Amino acid sequence: MNTSPLYRALLRTAWIAGAFCVLVGGIMVYEHFEAATNDPWKSPQLLALREKLAADPKNEPLQKEIRQLDLKFRRNFRHRLALDNTGAWLLLGGTLALVLAAAKAAALKKTLPLPQPKPDAGEQSIKLASRARWSLAGVGLAVAGCLLIIGLGNTSVLPGSRDAWQKLLSPPSAQEAPIAEAPVLAEFQANWPRFRGWDGSGTAAWDLKTMPGVLWRSVIPAPGHSSPIVWGDRVFISGGTTNRREVFCYNASSGALLWQRAIENVPGSPLKIPETPEDTGCAAPTMAADGRRVYAIFANGDLGALNFDGSVVWTKYLGPVKNPYGYAASLAVWGDNLLIQLDQGETRPEGSKLISLQGGSGRVLWERSRPVPASWATPIIIDAAGKTQIITLADPWVIAYTLADGNELWRAQLLENEVVPSPVFAGGFVLLVSPGAKLMALRPDGTGDVTKTGVAWATEENVPDIASPVGIGELVFTVTSGGVATCFGANDGKKIWETNLDTEVQASPGILGDRLFILGEHGALVTLQAGRELHEMGRTQLPDKFDASPAFANGHVFLRGVTNLYCLGAADAKLAKQP
Amino acid sequence: MLRRLKFVGALGVMLLLALMVCAEQRFPPPDFENGYRLPSASTPAARQLWLQYADAGVLLAALGISVWLIYKKRSRRGLFWLSLFSLAYFGFYRKGCICPIGSPQNIVYGLFNPDYVVPATVLVFCFAPLVVALFAGRAFCAGVCPQGALQDLVLIKPVAVPLWLEQALSVIPYLFLGAGLIYAGTGTGFVICRYDPFVPFFRLSGGVFILTAGAAFLMAGMFVGRPYCRFLCPYGGLLRLASLVSKWRVRVTPDFCTQCRLCEQSCPFGAMREPAPSGTNPKWLWAERKRLGWLLALLPVLVAAGMWAGSKLSPAAAQLHPAVALAERYTRQQSHPVQYGLMTPESLSLQRAAEDPKAVLTAAADLRHRFDLACWLFGGWIGLVIGLKLVALSVRPGRTDFEPDRGACLACARCFAACPNERVRLGLMPAAGDPAPS
Amino acid sequence: MDAKPPVNGSVTRRQFLRNGARLMTMTGLGVAAGALATRSTGAAWVWQIDPAKCLRCGNCATQCVLEQSAVKCVHAYAVCGYCQLCTGFFWPEPNELTTAAENQLCPTAAIKRTYVEDPYYQYSIDEQLCIGCAKCVEGCNRFGNGSLFLQIRHDRCLNCNECAIARTCPGEAFRRVPVEHPYLLKTTSR
Repeated sequence: MNTSPLYRALLRTAWIAGAFCVLVGGIMVYEHFEAATNDPWKSPQLLALREKLAADPKNEPLQKEIRQLDLKFRRNFRHRLALDNTGAWLLLGGTLALVLAAAKAAALKKTLPLPQPKPDAGEQSIKLASRARWSLAGVGLAVAGCLLIIGLGNTSVLPGSRDAWQKLLSPPSAQEAPIAEAPVLAEFQANWPRFRGWDGSGTAAWDLKTMPGVLWRSVIPAPGHSSPIVWGDRVFISGGTTNRREVFCYNASSGALLWQRAIENVPGSPLKIPETPEDTGCAAPTMAADGRRVYAIFANGDLGALNFDGSVVWTKYLGPVKNPYGYAASLAVWGDNLLIQLDQGETRPEGSKLISLQGGSGRVLWERSRPVPASWATPIIIDAAGKTQIITLADPWVIAYTLADGNELWRAQLLENEVVPSPVFAGGFVLLVSPGAKLMALRPDGTGDVTKTGVAWATEENVPDIASPVGIGELVFTVTSGGVATCFGANDGKKIWETNLDTEVQASPGILGDRLFILGEHGALVTLQAGRELHEMGRTQLPDKFDASPAFANGHVFLRGVTNLYCLGAADAKLAKQP
Repeated sequence: MLRRLKFVGALGVMLLLALMVCAEQRFPPPDFENGYRLPSASTPAARQLWLQYADAGVLLAALGISVWLIYKKRSRRGLFWLSLFSLAYFGFYRKGCICPIGSPQNIVYGLFNPDYVVPATVLVFCFAPLVVALFAGRAFCAGVCPQGALQDLVLIKPVAVPLWLEQALSVIPYLFLGAGLIYAGTGTGFVICRYDPFVPFFRLSGGVFILTAGAAFLMAGMFVGRPYCRFLCPYGGLLRLASLVSKWRVRVTPDFCTQCRLCEQSCPFGAMREPAPSGTNPKWLWAERKRLGWLLALLPVLVAAGMWAGSKLSPAAAQLHPAVALAERYTRQQSHPVQYGLMTPESLSLQRAAEDPKAVLTAAADLRHRFDLACWLFGGWIGLVIGLKLVALSVRPGRTDFEPDRGACLACARCFAACPNERVRLGLMPAAGDPAPS
Repeated sequence: MDAKPPVNGSVTRRQFLRNGARLMTMTGLGVAAGALATRSTGAAWVWQIDPAKCLRCGNCATQCVLEQSAVKCVHAYAVCGYCQLCTGFFWPEPNELTTAAENQLCPTAAIKRTYVEDPYYQYSIDEQLCIGCAKCVEGCNRFGNGSLFLQIRHDRCLNCNECAIARTCPGEAFRRVPVEHPYLLKTTSR
């Protein structure tokens, strides 16, 4: 046993070098894991401070804190880089020292070979070969076993066989849904499938005998100004913020939230959407339903079609939408068509268009460019003069298109200012509002430019600026945002009566049976008789704020407040359990 | 419904934030009045092409010197210094890349992917050591491979691995080679490069996982000589095959073997073999012939079994390919949506997939079909390798001397010093029968 | 001295087989090399980022095998608008238009802002500090002209056979370019 001083010294050197390497390596590994939380560019601490500063921009101590933290992170980052560099070289040196010392020590202890007699070399070699073969078989089985475990334990969601792939790549949804399945007109009329009802008139023919009371109310988890729509026993509403935009579905009888679905990952839609003014929000346009699907569009241009069970059928990105106050025109449906009035531009047209999509697939049927800047009125579809016409309002043109191919039927240059109130078809006329200026009635039977010839009558009294008018029979009713309700004759535009309701009004009025519903902004629900005599039929106060317009369906009145969705019905109905 | 708004401030900020138009520049280039000149972006040049050719030249020169040192000079010291030079040049200077170990992947990648053309230098790096191995054995491993040189350097006290274990584990390099080639051929990536444990040391940086693995290999290499070379190196597998038919072979003795057995323990890499046992018992001979016959018959069965096992592997193996992984993630997202953070690689790739899902799925379909074939071949290859090795282990070697195994010998020249005839050649000992020096 | 095994009967047969195998292998390799040579090139490849495909995910800063990534931000001055409110320099809705830490987007303060003339400012990247995180590139491309973009710097890049960033790039923006023209510089906004 050679334990010369040189050997001992070399061994000691080797141990020290080894320990040194372990130490340096350990420090570097520790630093690596610690640094993961102290990245200057991902630190949650810094982000939180920045958010605080955004809320309180002039806070000097906070600014100083951010600057110091940022400097600390950057210094640490530099130090860590330098440490890693030095550490690498130190490790290299240490390893070299270790290896040289240990190798030299081993060389000193090298023993000379002393082969022992091997009488059964032949037998041994045969046994060895046999053992080698069996262990090779073992290795082979182990490898095969591992491969099989990997192979059979795989969690692939993609198809396995060629046929399955074929099916995936040419899905049957490429076929179009036959038109025969489209709900008949009666179904549309029985429901409230879009803003202000199936024809956009804001009226429903059935009746409530008494002033309705609250049957249920449900919290709406996301903010928005869109009005509710109703089909069958479901109420749909959209809401959202720049982070997330969703569609909610409630049971119309009980108010239970059946499902909510986010419209997200829309192809082409940027993840970060621009801010929209709070007064408009992301979910101002009202949804639309065609009996098989519901459609929702948001201020950033995300459009989604969902089945009634909440599954997404298709999504489309129509943005970016350049609208100074935020896009708010609601969707319109007619049969299998979905219509979108996408007016953009602050003072001059910037890509405004009217789009018709096929509801089932989202395929664009036609698109018409419009010579107008942004507008916030929702189009209506009417059967007049023997044609199905789409009436659109913007500043300055009111334009009518055919539903089938979007060709212009007539247009008139009658509007000014920002057009918010939507048109209605009442008394045989198309009623349009030039906000704060004129209420006009137009004959829908013209062709070409009917600016000079189409106007039947116009009035400048009590012209509303936000709420759309509503008409029944030969009467037209309007409400200004100051709360002045006026009744005009539909044939001549003469004022019949007016009254001040003492409340600010954003929502458009609606007529249910013979009752005119006006929903004040601070929760006052006033019902007036929809007749030639001014007669208040009832007034109730709801504990919420309202911007959205009422929906009438299924014997109930649905109101979307800022916080809750309300269902009102006949007062003697039992109150449903709150969800 | 809308309210009337306050215009100016909100509008200004909104317009700034809401402008997302494509096509022209949003902010037109300025007209500078004070004579300001636009700086230009610096474009530091990459390593020049002629230097790549110089690398190939150095490789060929090093191979030549290695062959000369092994067969002509028979010098361990010379090989040691050559391997140090290779470690410095190919290892620390060139950072271990491009290296022959990974080059078969480039070749296969070039064969099956028309958008990649193999550079000529890579061809040299791939074929030169193989051609040399056909003539002179694993001269590349001896003095030229930087990974080998590194492991060689840290070898302190070799521990003998039992021969049967060594032989059984010697099939693993072929499996690694097969896996590397199918991943290269399908365009997934270069897994041999990805999992090379020593290159991060040459780069002096790397991920924690691979650096730890490298450290583990080095620590193991202090006792088990050249673990990567013997049990993992895929190119080593190719060199082993080439060396089996090489023209010259490394012999311990410079002239003839005296059967003194002094070199038995001299190979730190388990390559030394003894002569075949003399005088075969007829009983054993018949058993051996029968066994050989069975194993030969078993060979196609193993290949078929391998092909079957390989075919099961395809969906899992394909997931390593980024395009297939994206299709999987996209499909999974449709049924079980996961909320990824904004602007993370996952959410961005999903966004891109959602723009044209058909293209993503079609690409994944095409890749899956390629993987079906590749994994089937891979399985068959595993079966073939194991079957052939079994056959090789049942054939009696016709060895008469103590000499290293052709395929396993790394030509490091360590065994020469143990041979008395070598000492005679070097003049360190008088020849048998010669008078001792006075 | 040549190291040749002694020649006798059984070895000769093996030797013959071995020679034959070697010849076949040589031929095979020769054919393979020849076939490949027609499909090979004298050029060499290096890695580069295509700015049109880059999604600014941040992987370039974390995935490179080097401690400090070889990817850095590059500025195409001809495309730059020299804006006072540079959306690549400033944090969104900055407190003030100063170089204070709370207003800057770059986490390592690698962008230098210098006044040129009213109202233009020059923004230049200090490569020593840049980590290639693409925050400025995102800001510039989303709201500005898109004159900032990421490129692999070839005085730093090791040109690995398999680029560790390339295989994780969600936009598949990495490709091999000839070593003589190793940059894919932006000359227009898009």
